[in-house]
Amino acid sequence: MRNSDPTPATTGWTIGTDVGGTFTDLWLRSQDGQSWVCKSPTTSDVVTGVVNAVHLAAQTAGLDVADLCSRVTRFGHGTTVGLNALLTGRAVRTGLLTTRGFGDVLEIGRLRRGTAGLTGLELGDYHLRGQIPPLVPRTLVQEVDERIDTDGVIRTPLDLVSAGEAIGRLADAGVEAVGICLLWATENPYHEIAVASLVRELLPDAFVSVSHEIAPSVGEYARASTTVANAALGPIAGHYLTRLEAELAALGMTAPIMMTTSAGGVVPASTVTQRPVNGLLSGPASCVVAGQKLGQALGTSHVLTMDVGGTSFDVGVVVDGAPLISEQVTFGGADMRVPSVDIASIGAGGGSIAAVDGGVLTVGPRSAGAAPGPVCYGKGGTQPTTTDADLVLGVLDPEAFGSGGIVLDRAAAEDAIQNTIGMPLGLDAMAAARAIRVVFDSAMADLLRAVTIERGHDPREFTLIAGGGSGPSHAWALCRELGLDGFVVPPTATAQSAYGAGTSDLKTTASRTSYVRLPSGVEPSPNDVATIAAAVADTKRRALAEMPGADLSAVTFSASVRYHGQAHHLDVALPDAPDLSAVADLLRLFEKEYEQLYGKGAGFREAGFEILSVRAVATREATTVDAGVQGEPFTRLGSRPVVFDDPARPDDTGVFACRWPAAGQDLEGPCLVQLPGCVVVIPPGGRATTDDLGLIHVTVGA
Amino acid sequence: MTATSVSTPTLTDDPVVRQVIRSRLVAITDQMRLALQSVSGSPTVTEASDFFTGIYLPDGEFVTMGHQVTFEAPPVGSLIRHLLANGTQLKDGDRIIGNDPFVGALHQNDVQMCAPLIVDGELVGWAGVMAHETDMGGMDFASWSPKATEVWQEGLRIPAVKLVDGGELRQDVLDMLLAATRLPAQVGLDIRAFIATLNVASERLTDLCHRYGSALVLSVMGSMVDDAETQVRARLRELPDGVVHTRDFLEHDGHNNVLYAIDCVLTKTGDRLTFDFSGSSPQARGFVNCSRAGLAGGVAGALIPTLGFGIPWNDGLLRPVDVVAPDGLVCTAVPPAPVGSATVEAVWVVSNVVSAALNRLLLASPKYSHRAQAVSSGTMATFNLSGLDRHGQLFGLHLMDPLAGGFGAFGDHDGQDAAGPINAPCPSIADVETNEQKNPLFYHYRRLAPDSGGAGRRRGGVGAEVGLTISVPEAEALVMTHGVEVPNSAGLGGGLPGGTIRQGLAKDGGAPRNLGPKPGAFPMTPDDLFHVTWQGGGGIGDPLDRDPFLVLEDVRRGVVTEEAARTTYGVALTATGDVEPSSAAYGRRKLRAARLGVDADSLADPVPVETEVPDGAIRLSDRLVAIHDADSGDWQLRTLDGAVLSSGSTRWREGAHRFAMSLPTTVGDSLHDELAVTGWACPLTGALLAVDVHSRDEDPFHDIELDFESLTALNRRDQQS
Repeated sequence: MRNSDPTPATTGWTIGTDVGGTFTDLWLRSQDGQSWVCKSPTTSDVVTGVVNAVHLAAQTAGLDVADLCSRVTRFGHGTTVGLNALLTGRAVRTGLLTTRGFGDVLEIGRLRRGTAGLTGLELGDYHLRGQIPPLVPRTLVQEVDERIDTDGVIRTPLDLVSAGEAIGRLADAGVEAVGICLLWATENPYHEIAVASLVRELLPDAFVSVSHEIAPSVGEYARASTTVANAALGPIAGHYLTRLEAELAALGMTAPIMMTTSAGGVVPASTVTQRPVNGLLSGPASCVVAGQKLGQALGTSHVLTMDVGGTSFDVGVVVDGAPLISEQVTFGGADMRVPSVDIASIGAGGGSIAAVDGGVLTVGPRSAGAAPGPVCYGKGGTQPTTTDADLVLGVLDPEAFGSGGIVLDRAAAEDAIQNTIGMPLGLDAMAAARAIRVVFDSAMADLLRAVTIERGHDPREFTLIAGGGSGPSHAWALCRELGLDGFVVPPTATAQSAYGAGTSDLKTTASRTSYVRLPSGVEPSPNDVATIAAAVADTKRRALAEMPGADLSAVTFSASVRYHGQAHHLDVALPDAPDLSAVADLLRLFEKEYEQLYGKGAGFREAGFEILSVRAVATREATTVDAGVQGEPFTRLGSRPVVFDDPARPDDTGVFACRWPAAGQDLEGPCLVQLPGCVVVIPPGGRATTDDLGLIHVTVGA
Repeated sequence: MTATSVSTPTLTDDPVVRQVIRSRLVAITDQMRLALQSVSGSPTVTEASDFFTGIYLPDGEFVTMGHQVTFEAPPVGSLIRHLLANGTQLKDGDRIIGNDPFVGALHQNDVQMCAPLIVDGELVGWAGVMAHETDMGGMDFASWSPKATEVWQEGLRIPAVKLVDGGELRQDVLDMLLAATRLPAQVGLDIRAFIATLNVASERLTDLCHRYGSALVLSVMGSMVDDAETQVRARLRELPDGVVHTRDFLEHDGHNNVLYAIDCVLTKTGDRLTFDFSGSSPQARGFVNCSRAGLAGGVAGALIPTLGFGIPWNDGLLRPVDVVAPDGLVCTAVPPAPVGSATVEAVWVVSNVVSAALNRLLLASPKYSHRAQAVSSGTMATFNLSGLDRHGQLFGLHLMDPLAGGFGAFGDHDGQDAAGPINAPCPSIADVETNEQKNPLFYHYRRLAPDSGGAGRRRGGVGAEVGLTISVPEAEALVMTHGVEVPNSAGLGGGLPGGTIRQGLAKDGGAPRNLGPKPGAFPMTPDDLFHVTWQGGGGIGDPLDRDPFLVLEDVRRGVVTEEAARTTYGVALTATGDVEPSSAAYGRRKLRAARLGVDADSLADPVPVETEVPDGAIRLSDRLVAIHDADSGDWQLRTLDGAVLSSGSTRWREGAHRFAMSLPTTVGDSLHDELAVTGWACPLTGALLAVDVHSRDEDPFHDIELDFESLTALNRRDQQS
């Protein structure tokens, strides 16, 4: 806590919240730039946990709750885990209406559903396949007589009688939400609109989602999956937000709720009520956006964010000041067309279990989770985890771990590592613990390589921002693996998503198909340009329609381009109101970026081009606050032996603690800095300095 | 103190460093996949994962493979061995291309490239890549010609040619290759993708060698293969010893509708396997053959997923395997035999019989019976289309939708619907919309095909079916398959085979005409409707042992019709759509009585299939039990209901009730003239023990002769654990 100003301003305060599986994180900033981080247990109804966190924040800031709430002008909120749990457990009974002949779209699932969720060796075990049911059971999928073709031409007119009967069967089955996904509705939405209005007439209480609005892209499996997921979540999200708004209002909060989205950024809560599917993976996205913001403050446009939680290692990439976006994610075993910050992830985190099988040491993807948890938690875990290894190596302090007040059992961790890992490999406990750490670090480094080097980026040009409970203690080893000089740890390292929710820009996206095929040697025609310009105008209108204060927003456009026949495309920048020369430029830019990515000479214009779709992104920058608030100096707690490279020769390592670092401090490695919920490891030869944002800059030496 | 100043264990012994290198090799293989998929222009690669990437030892054994088509595991190794045997001079930066089925490719469409990894003058290994190209020239589009009688009429053959020489692309060679194909744009993009993929692998592997030393990297690569071998041998020792005999057929060689048998005698001893294909038919006149390379691919394709679960996939899995067969068979064809459609004909059927044989051993093993699987998608019915697209450009389509066949049932759960064949670990097909956007196609439906899953206690997954036409004035279709008249997706332990392929063409809105297995090329217009239903997976166990409520659920989901529920499963439904209570008992007894040709009223019901077997007895399948008879001192094969079928051997058919069986219409109504179906039932209760599809002129053979001593040893071991 850095409550140095006795009379903080009475308005302009910011709250960011993020609901995780275990904790609801809250980040609070006063108008003059003081920050606090609080954690409160997540509750099954989600809302109570958020309200509890607000109470805790008020207490932490030394304010009455009503007083705090009256000062808040921005309330950012992400409920990734809440929504996810709701989707899997409590989603409403949802039906799907499709084109006659294609009712098995979710059953067939492009054959991809059978292997969804399987990774690594599991993919070679066919006995594990096909465990994930379709999002909507076949009995709740009904077909409608109609058909539109790729040009949007009606080939079979909509038969309203068959549609009425189909809806009647869904009504009989008691559905509360209906998704509508008809073939080629992206090119001609007429039938979807007509079916939707019939549903609203026959099932007035049902929540209705139509595919051309929810996921306007070619490819019916992902479009249908996204549409039904949205429909299933709609009633819940609406109910949830209504309750949250009411409870916060009761506390005296007048700031509108801004919800985080998977695409990074926030939107007004009313938008999410209609498009809840856009919030599905918003937590990790907020974390990347937080890194992007820090990058701005540091004056760097290339940022790598890493978040090492209990079960996963998530990496985000910010290039030229913007997070990389992918348009498809896998959720609940289904492909979803949701514009999302591109998060690369592996199942490796603090709870990942280490094991020796056939003489080979592996770490993850199995996780001990929160229960039973690592062996050292003493809650019944018997299989050693990376957290146990960190404890044995001296990185973690048994007495000061996390905020739960747990005392870690080092002896138990050491025994488990010795028996499970050391014995089969012929190593002592310390060497075995180091082995676990090295294998864990190497898996993380492989992922960092995959998102940088394999995409044509030099990782050394990036600033690595380490977050999550285990990120700041492992980042030094990753830097050495990848040849980075060092990394940065924000004081909010364990609550980066909440920080992101509080600081993200308002951002809305809209996309639509704009299929143009240009065979080899054929220049774009005025017709082609008209197709693209119409899509640009339409996406601009829709992106701005959901943006409060549209006139304060900047809009950027991109088009998806590929060589004909390819499945992968590149998103290439496009100006507003493109003309003939802008489209020609688009193709040139595509070829340039393509060669940058795949190497000189990789391009092959003889295949011709395809321009698939256009996306508009409207952004309204969040107001920023000056830094320059005083933190506190590092307190030296003592020292302890920590193993870095040689398990037989631990280094005597100074241990420091701090809640929010003051600027201008300088520590020489080896040392540890204990922040709330995490430990920053500065290796021998390394150094840690601090700046006026409270960031710890670590260099790792040779 | 820094990392370099500390003493660590000697590098070659440090298990941590070794594990780091292992992980890097796997990661590099995945990066190869990404590079290939990103740049490729072939739907077979981008949408369907019909390709292969791997890293190889200097001698050509593969160390890693992506989760891609398992048939394609051996071929690049053969290309490498060919280069080594020829003493080809290799230097850093060489990229060699090949596609010759008499060197190592499965057929000419499978274009392979490899790169020697030379670090500091030493050959440390290889990177390899291959993918299916839609057209590599030849007398007909797609390089698959039913008319061909000689391999020279098919696609261009490239034995092994340096396409990139020391880092320099040989444009003259590339021009020659692209001149041979009807789809130079697609093949051109793919060859660029191959080179990019090999460059990625080469750079990363060189980095790895520079960091850890080539000797250590090589040593780790070697131990990865050794470890997989050790693990699969341990697994083999958990299966009973003995001889298993399986046979499958493919009909029509492009010229005549004759039947070709692929016959597999598997001898399993300890931790070794010998597959003998000597009993297969002589090579065909038409393009259905495969070369010896195809045989190796077919064996690997089935063996890797069937025995390699939980083990990293590499050549170690194939080390315990011997393959025996003389030259000149349909699965060891030699020139001039054409082999254009090898992958979906002879190779595929080899994989069917290997899967059927290995799964009989799994089914008879106490540890693995729950994961024994019936045959999946016993064919891939190809649909190719070519002509001018709406832009006036030549197009060529190799439709990947036919991957959507059904999965074979497992011992403990139903086969997945539309799951794909076992040779595809990550199967995928394109969306209907994507296919319509990229090609001049117009679908009328793409859906699951009811009753196409093999009936059984555990049902085989149903296959999918499509009805489609074209959206340009004209185009030429090329359609061929086997499995229209042969139910290739065999069942296991009394389970029925999955449904056969049905394909037809309705001209100008008229009635559909059955196209048979190999109509070959024919013109299409937008007024024609082509329809095809793909094979479902085989079932496991007697369909009359299936829980009636699971049958009811199948009916509600639309994957089993009410008619099939009644006639195949003996489950009648009431008007309100519930199970008719009496049907599950009496209806089923009538069906069993019909098998035995006796009166239902006098027939005893079988004991439930869940009935525990006595101590010391071993279950070979749902209702067959090997038991040591104290009175005679002999081993006997008995049914679960107590009928003694054989003594002193597992040739249980000797005492089973044999009957001419009629298969459900989706499976049996188009059976080839030369085939017959025989059912085998318990003489006491009529419970179904096995279904044999065999040559009309030959009696069914005994499919399993197990070694009792090894059975006993396994059973003891299982009980102890």
